[in-house]
Amino acid sequence: MADNKNTVLSARGLSVQYAAENPTLTDINLDIAAGEIVGLTGSSGSGKSTLAYALLGLTRRGAQVTGGKIDFDGHDLLALSDEELERVRGRDIALIVQNPRSALHPMYQVGRQISRVYQAHKDSGRTEAQQRAIEMLRLVGINDPERRSDAFVHELSGGMAQRVLIALALSTNPKLLIADEPTSGLDVTVQAQFLDTMWETSRETGTAMVLVTQEPGILANYCDRVIELDAGHVAKDVSASAFISASTKRSTQSPSAVERERQNHEPLLRVEGLRKTFPLRGTKKVVQAVDDVSLSLFAGESVGLVGESGSGKSTVGRCLLKLLEADAGKITFDGQDLAAIGGHTLRKLRQRIQIVQQDPYDSFDPRWSIEKSLLDPLVIHKIASPAEARGVIEESLSRVSVEFSVLSRRPRDLSAGVLQRIAIARALLMKPDFLVLDEPTSMLAPQDRHVILDVLKRLRTELGLSYLLISHDLTSVASACDRVVVMYLGQVVEVGPTVDIFEKPIHPYTKALIGAHLEENPETRRVERLDRVDLEGEIPSPIDLPVGCYLATRCAHATDACHKERQSLSPFSSHHDVRCMRVGQFELDEAS
Amino acid sequence: MIWRFTLRRLAVGLVQLSVLIVAVFFLIRLLPADPVARFVGMNASPEAYALAEQSLGLDLPVTRQFEAFLFGEGNDGGGLFRGELGTSWVTGSSVNQEIRQYLPVTLELITLSFLIAVGLGVPIGVLGAVNPGGAADKGTLVYGLFAGSQPEFSWGIIFIFVFFVVLGIAPGPLGRLSPLTDPPDFVTGAITIDALLAGRVDIFLEALWYLSLPILTLSFVLSGPIIKMVRENVAQTMNADFMFYGQAAGLPRGVLARDALRAAFAPALTLIGILFGFMIGGAVLIESIFSISGLGQYAIRSILAFDYPAIQGVVLTISALTLLIYLAIDVCQALLDPRVSV
Ligand SMILES: Nc1ncnc2c1ncn2[C@@H]1O[C@H](COP(=O)(O)OP(=O)(O)OP(=O)(O)O)[C@@H](O)[C@H]1O
Ligand code: SF4
Ligand SMILES: [Mg+2]
Repeated sequence: MADNKNTVLSARGLSVQYAAENPTLTDINLDIAAGEIVGLTGSSGSGKSTLAYALLGLTRRGAQVTGGKIDFDGHDLLALSDEELERVRGRDIALIVQNPRSALHPMYQVGRQISRVYQAHKDSGRTEAQQRAIEMLRLVGINDPERRSDAFVHELSGGMAQRVLIALALSTNPKLLIADEPTSGLDVTVQAQFLDTMWETSRETGTAMVLVTQEPGILANYCDRVIELDAGHVAKDVSASAFISASTKRSTQSPSAVERERQNHEPLLRVEGLRKTFPLRGTKKVVQAVDDVSLSLFAGESVGLVGESGSGKSTVGRCLLKLLEADAGKITFDGQDLAAIGGHTLRKLRQRIQIVQQDPYDSFDPRWSIEKSLLDPLVIHKIASPAEARGVIEESLSRVSVEFSVLSRRPRDLSAGVLQRIAIARALLMKPDFLVLDEPTSMLAPQDRHVILDVLKRLRTELGLSYLLISHDLTSVASACDRVVVMYLGQVVEVGPTVDIFEKPIHPYTKALIGAHLEENPETRRVERLDRVDLEGEIPSPIDLPVGCYLATRCAHATDACHKERQSLSPFSSHHDVRCMRVGQFELDEAS
Repeated sequence: MIWRFTLRRLAVGLVQLSVLIVAVFFLIRLLPADPVARFVGMNASPEAYALAEQSLGLDLPVTRQFEAFLFGEGNDGGGLFRGELGTSWVTGSSVNQEIRQYLPVTLELITLSFLIAVGLGVPIGVLGAVNPGGAADKGTLVYGLFAGSQPEFSWGIIFIFVFFVVLGIAPGPLGRLSPLTDPPDFVTGAITIDALLAGRVDIFLEALWYLSLPILTLSFVLSGPIIKMVRENVAQTMNADFMFYGQAAGLPRGVLARDALRAAFAPALTLIGILFGFMIGGAVLIESIFSISGLGQYAIRSILAFDYPAIQGVVLTISALTLLIYLAIDVCQALLDPRVSV
């Protein structure tokens, strides 16, 4: 607990209830000290957001504070009148919410929305408030703030809108900032830069922060203390390092026995020069979803495909299953050219390659029981007779550690984590050699993620299953893959063994991506690392791509040649390829 | 920007109008109707019939008739391109002048009804949204059950029965003024405005009194959808994330209320504008019930008399009017809401 004289806010016996339901929050006690960053975590539905809002004396429609008090600045917030609360909110306690684009009014310019909050609290004139808005926008890293302050929210990207919100919240120099999952939906590199800004501001101005998040990586890297909620109670209130070491620490994958395999054999899957564009409706332009992707995967090997959203990862996965027809390039699976086969051969091959999708609720028919959903593919593909079917299904389920009692349930009765494991079990029914997993963990809570990854690793050892794990979550890939393929704007920019990619990334993009990775380890906090590589500006649109290196507009090492010459993927060392002409010359930049 | 948008929309509107007027011109001439017979009577001699046909210009081939419609005949200075809609076959006077006379009557009726419906409907709708389940909401519910149960035609008759026949507190359906009162000089054609222009407050009040039942009927029926729309839009906005966030940012309540109305206003505006368009049609029945000789009555008379020039004139007027209203809404919307791309 914090020292009393430094305490900014303390809640005692706080309870909140939604009409006629069980209490959502019961008897919450917490203290927040000046300048402290407190992580607020807990599974979905545990009451994190409700608590975050209640700390402002605010409830969503239909909810009510039923008891307790919140001491802030010598007053009990819950006893203040509406007018008095109006003065505290936004001036002394500020809020950042999860969905910045809908939190801003669609019909006012964003600069105006910042300045009017400032005006409401600081008795300032309009011109002064406008200047403050521009100053704040610059502070949170928005380029050209004079122009951007005239933009409307629909003209901003999600990341930019999120920064507008933090500019708004911090413009009045609040004593306490409450941020409710401020980075969900942002890309990792944007997320890291955004959290850095918040962290630095808090350290500079002494603003205390409550950071609501489900990500252990964020807790480890940015928080001093962690409060965990469980069904509306405080389950834990400990230092960040105690919290993280209590939950399992993850290590990076060590090279497996696949190494030997690779020397002697042809790869199971080989992709060369894959290219896929989508026509843009109403124009002659195209979206370059996949520009140039080559990769190979050996039997029993697991490969991670990482990159930010829009980099074309899913499109690659769908081309591998021939769900999409590639524009160019060659895909060979077990010696067969995918383009050349069709009909019966293709159907046979499709059984050997299975896909697991992001949202498990989408991949099951909500009306059917799990048993029917699992039985149907067995019968249709004549894999097992009805008599044997039950045994096959049970074997599959036990491989993913799911109890047989789920068979009678319907998808909506099951949690996303369990349902995703059942989706993997269903894929296993086909006895596949190769599994494509497209963001299988991104909809799941962190605990469920670990279970899925453990299941995958076990399948690799027990069945020799190969898989391609498509994910933007570097923690998953680090723990479950032998090799990593890094994509940027439809191109592979670096391929190498997992250890090399995470510990010795070569390509400037990979460096930034790995640097943005928030390891679940309070000892190696990102904010304390000095050698961070950050990219400038925003990701270019996949419609108007740069001529030369796609990273040239954002790369600190770019030269004139980079802007002009298209880059190719070249060997850097054995098993490690990089797409950058200036590899090995970066030291020159640092020296000068 | 907004000017280019307006001009572009006007150009599109002109094309639509042209297509419509061509279609109407030829369609009515394809009908198996015989306007000449209607004109000269069933028992007219063949000579009289031929003479009449000639004088109406119906002896010419259709394409020639169309040419005359567009450019006038010979050098008479008429034709659509000079803004002339021709001469009514029934009255022999210019269709332009007749529309000039009847249109303001209808516009006066629906504008007044519309203002009252909006003036009552918007605050009631907002109240219902701010205080769901409150008095405004309950009243609206009861009223909604009533108002929706009958078309405006029935309501007109019910109101005449109750307020004129039974209670005797409203004037009978005898037009816009007592038959004994001399109407003010024709300036705009809207009798309330003309009375005021002539400095005759007594006539102004009398006109309002005579219009009270028609206006009551129209606004009674119209308020329902307006209240409902406003209520829904405002309720939706008040639940929006940006309202919650505004509260969290400590914005004063007055500012928040303005935020909500501003966001709710734009979508409501479109629907209200469409209602106004519909009302031009709805006024026809009301005019017949209350013997108000407006555009609706004129249209019916022209159709029954196969008065082609008058029919064409009415269609053109109503379409142009609707077009202008929709255009005005779109322009307002574009000015109000930055998300509407112009
Ligand atoms: N069917 C389609 N039609 C048009 N464009 C598409 C289609 N599918 C994908 N794209 C575009 O192709 C690009 C790459 O998409 P893809 O979904 O493969 O990327 P991703 O890296 O998996 O992104 P995320 O992590 O957000 O899922 C994006 O710009 C996307 O908008
Ligand atoms: S080629 Fe040039 S711009 Fe591209 S990553 Fe290498 S150094 Fe940067
Ligand atoms: Mg994807």
